[in-house]
Order: sequence, then structure tokens, then C-alpha cells
Amino acid sequence: MARHPSPAPTDPLGRGLRRGQVASTTLHVIGIALSAVSVGMAACALLEALTTGRDTAALAVSALVTAAAGGLLWYLTRPGAIRKRHIFSTVAWTWVFTTVIGALPFILGATFAAGGADFVEQVVNSLFESASGFSASGSTVLADFETPGRGLMMYRQLTHWYGGMGVVVLAVAVLPFLGVGGLELISAEAPGPSSDRLTPRVSETARRLWVVYIGFTAVAVLAFLAADGFSSLYDAVAHAFTFAATGGFSPYADSIGHYDSVAVETVAIVFMILGGTSFSLHWRAVADRTVPYHRNSEFRTYLLTLGMASAVVVILLWWETGLSLGSSIRAGVFTVASLGTSTGLSNATGPGSPGDYVTWVAGAQLVLLFLMVVGGCTGSTAGGMKVMRMRVLALLMVRSVQHSQSPRAVIPIRLGRYIVSESMVSRVAGFFLLHFMLVLGGTLVVAALGGDFVSALGAVVSALGNMGPALNEAGPTSNYAVAFSQPARLVLALLMVIGRLEIFPVLLAIMPHAHRAKVLWRTIRR
Amino acid sequence: MSWTLAAITDAGLVLGVATMVCGLAGIGDDNVDAAVFGGVGAACAVLAALARRRVAPPDRPGPGRVFAGIALLWTALALFGAVLYAGTGALGRLDDALVESVAGFTTTSLTLLEASEASRAVLLFRAATSWVGGLVAILIAVVTLPAVLRSTALIGYTSGRRGLDLVPNATVGTRRVMVLYSGFTAACVAGYLLCGLGPTEALVVGLGTASTGGFTGRADSLAGYGAGAQAVAAAGMLLAGAGIFVLWWIARGRLRPLWRSQEMRTYVLLLAAAAAAMALHSDTGLGEAGFMAVSMMSTTGFAVADWTGWGTSATVVMLVAAGIGTMMGSPGGGMKVMRARLLMGSAGGELRRQLDPYALVLVRRDGEALSGRTLDRLGGHQIAYVALVAVGALLLGISGVSLAGSVWGSVSAVSTVGPAVGEIGAFGRLDNLDWPGRLALVPLMLGGRMSIPPLMAGVGLVLGWYGAAVRRSRFTARQAVLGLQARSESRDGDG
Repeated sequence: MARHPSPAPTDPLGRGLRRGQVASTTLHVIGIALSAVSVGMAACALLEALTTGRDTAALAVSALVTAAAGGLLWYLTRPGAIRKRHIFSTVAWTWVFTTVIGALPFILGATFAAGGADFVEQVVNSLFESASGFSASGSTVLADFETPGRGLMMYRQLTHWYGGMGVVVLAVAVLPFLGVGGLELISAEAPGPSSDRLTPRVSETARRLWVVYIGFTAVAVLAFLAADGFSSLYDAVAHAFTFAATGGFSPYADSIGHYDSVAVETVAIVFMILGGTSFSLHWRAVADRTVPYHRNSEFRTYLLTLGMASAVVVILLWWETGLSLGSSIRAGVFTVASLGTSTGLSNATGPGSPGDYVTWVAGAQLVLLFLMVVGGCTGSTAGGMKVMRMRVLALLMVRSVQHSQSPRAVIPIRLGRYIVSESMVSRVAGFFLLHFMLVLGGTLVVAALGGDFVSALGAVVSALGNMGPALNEAGPTSNYAVAFSQPARLVLALLMVIGRLEIFPVLLAIMPHAHRAKVLWRTIRR
Repeated sequence: MSWTLAAITDAGLVLGVATMVCGLAGIGDDNVDAAVFGGVGAACAVLAALARRRVAPPDRPGPGRVFAGIALLWTALALFGAVLYAGTGALGRLDDALVESVAGFTTTSLTLLEASEASRAVLLFRAATSWVGGLVAILIAVVTLPAVLRSTALIGYTSGRRGLDLVPNATVGTRRVMVLYSGFTAACVAGYLLCGLGPTEALVVGLGTASTGGFTGRADSLAGYGAGAQAVAAAGMLLAGAGIFVLWWIARGRLRPLWRSQEMRTYVLLLAAAAAAMALHSDTGLGEAGFMAVSMMSTTGFAVADWTGWGTSATVVMLVAAGIGTMMGSPGGGMKVMRARLLMGSAGGELRRQLDPYALVLVRRDGEALSGRTLDRLGGHQIAYVALVAVGALLLGISGVSLAGSVWGSVSAVSTVGPAVGEIGAFGRLDNLDWPGRLALVPLMLGGRMSIPPLMAGVGLVLGWYGAAVRRSRFTARQAVLGLQARSESRDGDG
């Protein structure tokens, strides 16, 4: 009797697997993301070798390790069918791995060794800086901006750029055969309650988003060069990464304040505002050769919010702090644009200068805190709760009051010409509640780990909104390493990743484990 | 308007009698004050009784009208108190008098009065305002809103099914609530008397305990009182925060619903957790931490020490406790334990729906599943609550209060607690705030006391009146212009 050969192993989609290859979308996406990051590390190593040369080895070794890890994962795995639960865990784990591996150059380069910091302190600070970079937050624990080489500082900027558009979007863009779940993966990572599908093919959508992102960065480089008098391409590229990602890192300790130039600040304001705008709109503007911005109701609300906040802050600064009107406008508008787009750059030239907003009156700081919560537009690289969600929440609030008076009335929620579905309204309300609970819980934990109330509240709101600098001890001219203890910094780093992924993916990645632990606990009790 | 007028006359009657009693009790201390309070109280009671006969409330007023009426009722009470404080000279400025009055009626432990300098009648009247405010708050939540809404449309603002036991109908319900509330107050006063407090002090602190008002006869709240009085205060605050239903169950000797109530279990659990966390994160003992946890969560605002220096994490725990607040049917404020619980359930349900958009996720209140629409509405009210706190903090910040003081002050005022970290301090003094800061607290306290729907209805009513006035003035102006034109044309014709 002839024996039938055993069937070749296949992935859940029925595609053949090579020997030793396993079907795992999560590992595959992590592999691609790490490979992409390793390319950036290698480029920065080259830059470092050509310029200062201090951290070449650290960057080169990191690039090799990351490329090896990423390449192996990419080669040994193949994407399989994705279940909803796995989509969230894929995105969450990709970010965790990227953040941890992304800290390698800082650890190997002993970037945080200043002041005799021990190894644990260096690792914690490196993880914090990496999380802050990839989540495009811009909070920093770096005190010594002179010692690290130019390549390493550029890598720090590059983490923003990778994280701004998203490493998972990048993975989907280079993974045309992912098929199932591609849009869900993008949606789980992309900022905002919904994501636009620019083309029928998801991978094509992801590719277009990256194309417009790269184009945006290039234009920002040129604009910054022009504003700075063509003095430094390095500075222009470094800051363009920050503008595109609405990050907040700068190669200088005093951020944009280093230039003390109205032209540079004006360019920064324009590009920060554009960075906080939906990249789908930018794509349409380029592809259709039209100006679609004014027709977008979210964009109009975004500009209105920034305008009104600027007016209030400028008036308060002028009225209460005794600054001249010109200084008030310069400091107020820049800071509102920076925090309202979740960028976090500062034009403070030093502690106590007009741009150092922790010295402003409480009313102005509260306006900034509100902006930290609101954030930018859906589909942008900005953090925060997003303007669209805030509009839905405001309309939900009005509707619930109307329902209190007329319980049977059918009142749809409209955004512009569109009626928002009830499932979307419910999701937004759920997001708000989770955000609110995380702010409360986070403040409690960070305060318990050391830190005053305002600093803790500001840092947690800032971390969840991927803002960067916060209030009081964690202000624009200060440093998180001074303001918070090691455990508090780790909590804030986690909150930055949670905030960047908009809460759901991280919590849903944890939920099955929590459920299993609950079941185990019940079994033990029985 | 007849529902509103009926409500105002009812409240006016109770308030008039209470004011008259304060005046009578003040005889022998400051006779001028006593005469003013006695006279005004008597006049108010008589006028209210006469008006009550003439006003017949409609059978089934709509929710909008009731909410607007509630807003007007609180405003009328606040104005009455303000006029009395200013009229007796207890507080020289009218805005200060308004702040003191609003703090009293909203059961917020904020004050501008110097307790050592105020007459007995004034001190008693201040305590009476919080007692009347507490009574009105309970009656609105337990009797009025369930009768008007007849559904769980305003879940979290009404008592739901459990209310049927205590309030079979409005008349019986009102009577029972008044008896329970008065009996509880009398028990508190008796407890303080037994602990050695003088009659006036016992009455002031007893009224402040039962109503969660938090006023005492001293500048340092309960810090100077003995351990016995502090224990009575803690037990009283615990029960006052638990609400009228718990008092009803205890009075009837029914402990099973007490234990089976989700809300009660959550309330006790949160209190224990808050006390433990505060004791853990400060140098204080469990006793003091427990007292302050009850004081904050019941939104009373009594203090046995200057807790503002207890450390950031302990004070953040207090802030959260104050924000959550009391159980349903309590005179205290805050978000309410039940609402916080339902919102957490709703958020958890939304997480589950992310995995399976078609999953049927039920959020229950005491076994009763709530509809998605109800939860959405609850979420909407919660957003409004947070928005009120945010606007309040902004107003305080603009008026010159520090950042921590603004956030704390706003949460504390909206939750009707009073004391706060920063300029206000542990004993609820408003001396460190300028007049804009004090006035900024008025809408916050009223908003927190009324809850969101009546507040919005009140705002809508004012906006409606404003719109009507604008339309009327435009119409009059247009008429005048047309008249002038007609006159000039006729003059031209004559010429």
C-alpha cells in the first residue's frame, strides 16, 4: 500500500510555509518594524561617523542587533489570519518591542551617564526617552545636550519621525500581501476614532500616507532652512522630523528658543499646525490640486480652538504678567500652537523668560492644560483626544440634556453634513471615560511615587496626550529626571505608549491575560 | 410657573420657620440680629403659607419646566440668604453675603464669617441654610424627579425602583423624608450634647452633619473638639453620605437590602480604600485618615487637622473621593457612587465591544439592566460635569487663584465639599480669595448642587428670556423707526 505524503504545512490562509517558518502576524509585523528602525539607526551611525564620531559604535551595534532581530522575525514568520483580538495585541506588542529595542543606542552610548547615574538609572532614562521619541511626545530626561554625538541626537529626532506616522502603518505599507486585517491594524494605530481609506487597497493607503508624510518633511526642511538663513541642514532636518511627527524633541536644550528668531518661530507655528491636521487632507490637497481644508468641519473647529485659546492666553499674559503686547503675542501664540498640536516645542530662552509658561498665571496654564487634552485633528500625527472626539462629546452632552427634557426625542449627532453613528458615539464616550480614569489613576500613581499635584496631573495629561513638556516641575525648561522618580518615569513612559495608541490596543492586549488571571483566581478559590 | 411657585412657597415655608427659630434662639445674645431673623422668618413663613393656598401646581409638569423650576428655586433661596446676611450686617458686602448664602444652601463648607465674632442667630441661620438646602436636595432627588420623570430616563439623578418603598406617592414620601431627616438631625444633635458640646454648638454642628453642610461654631472646624464629638461626626457623616434610603432601611430594621445594595458595598469599599491609602501615604494615623476620608466622600468638609500638608498622594486620594461623592438620596454632592460605578461598567463594556462590535454587553444597577441610551445619557451628564469643573478651574485661575488651588477649588465647589488645597485651605476660608474668585465659586456650587439637567435648563431659561428680551427690544425699535418714518412722511405730505 502506497503511503500518501503528509501535506505541506500552511498558514491559516492556506499558503505554504517554509521549513521552520511559523504563521504569526504579530511577530511578522514586529520584524518589519524593527527592520525599518534598524535602517534609521544605520543611517544615523553613518552620520555619526562622518561628524562627531562619539557614538558611532553604539549606533552601529544597535543597528546590527535590531536588523538581526527584525530580519529573523521577518524571515521566520508569515502573516496569518488575524482575529480582532490579535490586531490590538499586534499593534501593542509592536510598539513595546520597538520602544525597548529603540532604547539600545541610548544605553550603549551611555547617553544618560552624566552625573554618575548608575546602570538602572541609565536604562530607565533610555526607555523613557525611547518611549517619548516613538510616541512623538517630546518629554525628555536628557540634561546634557552637548556630549551625545550628532548622529545620536539625529536618531533621537528620527524616533519621532518613525512614531509620528506609525511603525505599523509602515509595516502595512511594505506588506501588500497582509490582506486580512490591514485596515484594522492601521485603525488600531492611527490617531482618531476612524481612519480614512484613501484607496481600495489598504497597503496603497498606507503607502500614500507615508509618501505625503515624507513630502511634508521635505517641505518643512526647506522652510526651516529659509527661515534660519540656510545656516544648518542638520538643524532643519532634525526639526522637520519634529514638525511632521508633532513630536517635541530638539537638538538644543532650549528648543526653538535657541534661535530666538521670529522667522523660525513662525515657520514652526505653521508646520506644527499643519502637522496637527489630517494627513488625508494633505493627500487630497496634493492629489486633487484643491484646497480641501476649509470644507473640513474638524479643521475649522481646530483652527477656531487654537485661535480662541491664543486670544485668551495673549490677553491674560498682557493683562496679568505685565509683558508687552508683542512679547505676549509671540510667547502666547507659539505656546498655544505648540501645545494645541501636541508638539511640545518651546520658545523659552531660559527659566523665567516669556516663553516659560510655568511662570504664567494659572488661567493661562489651565488653557494650555485644556489644549493638552484636546490635541489635534483625526488622522494627524498629533496626540490628545482629538478635535473630532471633543465635538462629539460636546454634542453628546447637549443631547443628554435635551433628552432629560424630552426623553423620547430622537436627536442624531451631526458633524458637518454627516450623522455620526450611535456605535461611534458610544465608542467616543467610552474612550472619554477610559481617558478620564487613566488621568485620575495615573495622577494618583505618579503622585504616590513622588511629585507634587500639579506636576503629576500635568505630566499624566501630557503623557496621555503625547505632549512633551508639562506643568510646574516638568515645564519646558525643566527635565523629567529631576521632577519624577524612576518608577514614576516608567509609569509615564507606559502612559505615553498607551496615549499614542489611543488606549484601546494596550488595554485590550492586557485584557485576555487579566481574564485568564481572573479565571485562575476563581479556580484557586474554589 | 405654577410648579416653580409651589416649590418656592414650600421651601419658603420651611425656611421661614427655620429662620424664625434661629431668631428666637438668638434672643439674649444679640437682640437686634434676633429680632431681624425672627421678624423676617415669621414674615416669610406667613407669606409662603398664604401664597401656597393660591398656587396650585399642575398635575404633570414637563421635565423641562421642573428643571427650570429647580434652578429658580435654588436661586431664590440663595438670594433670600444673601439679603439676610447683608441686612443684618453680618457681612458688609452684598457679593460676600451671596457667596456665604450659596455656600450654605448648597451644603458647601466655605465661609467668610468669623465664627468668634458672629452672633448666635447668625451662626444658627448659617447652619439652618445648609439644613434646608440638604432637605430640598433630598426631596428633589427622591420625591420630585421620580414623580416627574416616571422612568429611569435620568438614571443616577433619581432613586429608581428602590424609591417606591420609601416614596409610594409624593405626599407620603415627603412626610417620611422630613421625619427621617429631622430624626437623624436630632440624633446627631443629641450625640453632640452627650459628648459635652453646648446647646448652640451641638445644634450648629448637628445641622452641619446631617445636611453634609460642614459648618461649625469655630474657625478650625472640628479640630478643637474632643474624640467623642469627632466620632459622632464621623458616624453622622457616614450615614448622611449613605443617604435617606439607608436611613429608611435602618429605621425599619431591614438590614438585608442594606447589604445587598451594590451602591452601599461600593461606598463602604471606596471609603475603606481611601482611608487606607491616605494613612499609607501620609504621616497621619488611620483614625484621622478615616475621618477625612468620610468627610471628603460624604462631601461634608469637616476637618480635624490641616490635612493640606499631608502629602500629594493623600490629597489626591481626597480629591478623587470628593469627586465621587455620596450615595443616591444623600444631601451630599459629587458625581455619586452609583453613577461612578455605572460609568466604569459602561467603559468596560465599550472595551469588550472593541473586540466584538455585536457583543451584547449589559450594565446593571441592582440587577436591573440599563439600555444603551440611558448609559449614553449618563455619559453625557458626566461630560457636562467634567466640563463644569474645567470651566470652574479656568474661572478661578483667571481670577488669580493658583493652579493647584483652581483645580482643587473647582472640584471641591462642584462636589459641594468646600475645603481645598491652596488658597481656600483645610477649613474652607475664603479670605485669601479676591472678590472675582469668590464670585466664581457661586455658579460652581449652584451647578454642583442642582446637578447638570436643572443647571442647563436654568441656563436655557435665562438665555430664552434674554433672546425674548432682545427680540422684543428689536421689535420696539423697529416699531419706533417705522413710526418716525410715518410721521416724517406725513409731515412731508403736509408740507
